[in-house]
Amino acid sequence: MSTSGPPKEPVKYVEKQLHLPYCYVAGDYKVRYLAALKDKTILGSKCSRTGKVFVPPIVASPESFAPCDELIPVADRGVVTTFCIVNIPVIGRSIELPYVAASVALDGADISIYALIQECAPADVRMGMRVEAVWKPDGERQGSHEDIIHFRPTGEPDAPLASFMHRL
Amino acid sequence: MPKLRNVAVVGFAQAPIVARDEHRIATEMLYEQVRAALAQCGVEREAIDYQAAGSADYLDGRPFGFVAALDVMGSWPAKADLHLEMDASFAAYYAWLRIQTGDSDTALVCGYGKTSEGEPERVLNLQLDPYYQAAIGLDPTSTAALQASAWMARTGATDRDLAALAARRRAAGARNPDAQLHDPASAEDLAQTPWAVEPLRRGYLPPVGESAVCLVLAAEGKAEKMCDRPAWIRGVDQRIELQTLGGRDLSRSAGAKLATERALAMAGLARAAEVDVVELCATTPAEECILCEAMGLDAAGARPAINPSGGPLAGNPLMMTGLIRLGEAFRQLAGRADGHGVAGARRAIAHGAQGHCLQHNVVWVLGDERRWT
Repeated sequence: MSTSGPPKEPVKYVEKQLHLPYCYVAGDYKVRYLAALKDKTILGSKCSRTGKVFVPPIVASPESFAPCDELIPVADRGVVTTFCIVNIPVIGRSIELPYVAASVALDGADISIYALIQECAPADVRMGMRVEAVWKPDGERQGSHEDIIHFRPTGEPDAPLASFMHRL
Repeated sequence: MPKLRNVAVVGFAQAPIVARDEHRIATEMLYEQVRAALAQCGVEREAIDYQAAGSADYLDGRPFGFVAALDVMGSWPAKADLHLEMDASFAAYYAWLRIQTGDSDTALVCGYGKTSEGEPERVLNLQLDPYYQAAIGLDPTSTAALQASAWMARTGATDRDLAALAARRRAAGARNPDAQLHDPASAEDLAQTPWAVEPLRRGYLPPVGESAVCLVLAAEGKAEKMCDRPAWIRGVDQRIELQTLGGRDLSRSAGAKLATERALAMAGLARAAEVDVVELCATTPAEECILCEAMGLDAAGARPAINPSGGPLAGNPLMMTGLIRLGEAFRQLAGRADGHGVAGARRAIAHGAQGHCLQHNVVWVLGDERRWT
């Protein structure tokens, strides 16, 4: 029996390809979040009990279980809270290796988003580094996560660890 | 029968069943129901010891998609949790079992999923074996049609009988604000609808629907504090049948029959007909008649009232249709069924099912009094 590649012999094997289409409703919260990206605005939702701001917006705080009714804009810049240097190709992405995948806590947000860091050497990325979003040009933004091409260093002084430890 | 813990349904919240909720994702729909169910019980999440949910990741299109629901079930600080790739009525069974062990007194049981986002008939085709059954395109409608055909051949039932039963359930559904189909339809009208898969007409089958539901279970001692009229679980049993469709008599439900006998015995009842209300998880009129026969009930009788909510024929949100039956039984016993309430209901049977042609059945017997003293 062959151990590499799909078997070719008819009868001995049954080949089955699954095709399952889906059409996800984005939901009113995410619709507003995605639409705002067109205007280079990143929205978060604020917990009605703790005041924590979640990005992307969610309907309720998993932590406090209270509703997050209020949508508020956060900055399109923030701090690298943790990161890794990717040396293996990832399915569905064609980015030059190695590259840096980072958690970025945007200014005004209490939870990090995942971000690609470019325009600097991977070895230069560090926890506390200040970064900003690089947006697609006006007219090209579609209201999707791809409207942010990547994040890049701002050159500002690093943020001290204590300022983002609670937002890892 | 050994003495077990008295456990009751003390809260139930359901989003009205709709063809497609354009405004909310599944977890957003569920959050509202969890909050509503806890509010009914006058408690916060800290009062819940255990949680269980039923949904299908293939319907959801996300492997391990069920973990998204944890964020809206109040699962913090870290909770003991169970997820079943089954109708949530079975999650309720395992939550009841967990409470029987004595390590938990209370449990949340959730069912959710946006059926409209995928193509459920394609997904449920994959439930069958890939060599013969799935490969020839069998889906739940065609297996249900095979079942209906077998049942009609054995009993002599006709197309008119199916139409008449479907019309009765549609009329009942019109009185249930949470049902999907609110427009009554006459048997004559339904018998004019085109075949879906003969002998089943489109008018006999529920449309694709979605909802989110949350039910609360509590043991004696806490149940009375969480609900003024708890629906006590007096008996329950679940039985699964063979996967091979040809390996069982589709015109009968041996599993529902055995589960009913055992649940009734646990409840101390001789016959299913001794209850006031029955809610059956039957998604075709033929399935409902098969279940009635297995349970010893008259599908056309006035008492016990069968599917006064309209049942699944008036709304069938996959993965929670069975749990809604348990919730409806609670509503009847707790006096919360409003427009479709059955006067003087003190005992109820709720049935849940999973799989093609009633493969897996769970039967609950509930009452307004505790079973064990």
